[in-house]
Amino acid sequence: MDTLKEDLKKHIIEQLNLEDIQVADIADDALLFSTEGIGLDSIDALELIVLLEKFYGIQVTNPEEGKEAFLTINTMADYIEKKRK
Amino acid sequence: MSFITACCHINEESCVLNGDVIAQKNTESGDSWFKQLYKGLTLEYPKFYKMDMLSQAGFIGSELIKKSNPALSTRYQDDEIGLLFANQESSADTDIRFMESYVDKKSPSPSLFVYTLPNIVLGEIAIRNKWFGENMFAVLPKFAPEFFLQYGEIMMVAGAKAVLMGWLGILEGKIEVFVFLVEENSATGMQLNRENLITCAGF
Repeated sequence: MDTLKEDLKKHIIEQLNLEDIQVADIADDALLFSTEGIGLDSIDALELIVLLEKFYGIQVTNPEEGKEAFLTINTMADYIEKKRK
Repeated sequence: MSFITACCHINEESCVLNGDVIAQKNTESGDSWFKQLYKGLTLEYPKFYKMDMLSQAGFIGSELIKKSNPALSTRYQDDEIGLLFANQESSADTDIRFMESYVDKKSPSPSLFVYTLPNIVLGEIAIRNKWFGENMFAVLPKFAPEFFLQYGEIMMVAGAKAVLMGWLGILEGKIEVFVFLVEENSATGMQLNRENLITCAGF
């Protein structure tokens, strides 16, 4: 699970061009779409959807599901684990 | 009467502000040229990293003009500064990258897609500075002084007291950026006319 979270952070930094952010800067429970967290925006949300499909083969078809899944690194990792089963 | 009160040129190798070379590209750096310039400005604006090259060019040009003219942000109301930009290539540089993302990599990138219009750079500058004056981006066959003179005049008549203008030539590694500030009734600067604009542009 920890490896998955690390990989997720690396993919997010790379795909979203967060060049001034390091893996260590993203806490597992930091809110991704809050300015107090990582401060992602709606376009980044689309990138996250693409990222899940590209690297994990997961299609987010239900917007409500994505809303909950993209809250934090923890929730994203849980979502990936659940979808993989 | 309007005056050119500041100007900035960026090409593939150097950055010139009001005639002075302020930065040369470090070819040994792992950072892109525009990222080197961004770091040199010591700004805290993470959104810069998400921008395409066209928007980065306009962003850096506008920041350098502000650096040269610090009172710009306070001298005018937020709707008194217009934006007037043009180029020959539109957003082709990013259009190509977006096409590659879905043709070659089979993964269309939303963050590239949002930059597949040339006028997005105007939004980036307006959002950054909270400048809500009129704005216009034109795609022209070549640099045309008359466009800037005539459309700039229209903006001034319509209420702008300053217009940030620029030619943003960005395509597949080619960089031909010229950003300049035109102000009404300034005590300094070159009078805005065809000859001075051609001289200032250096094209």
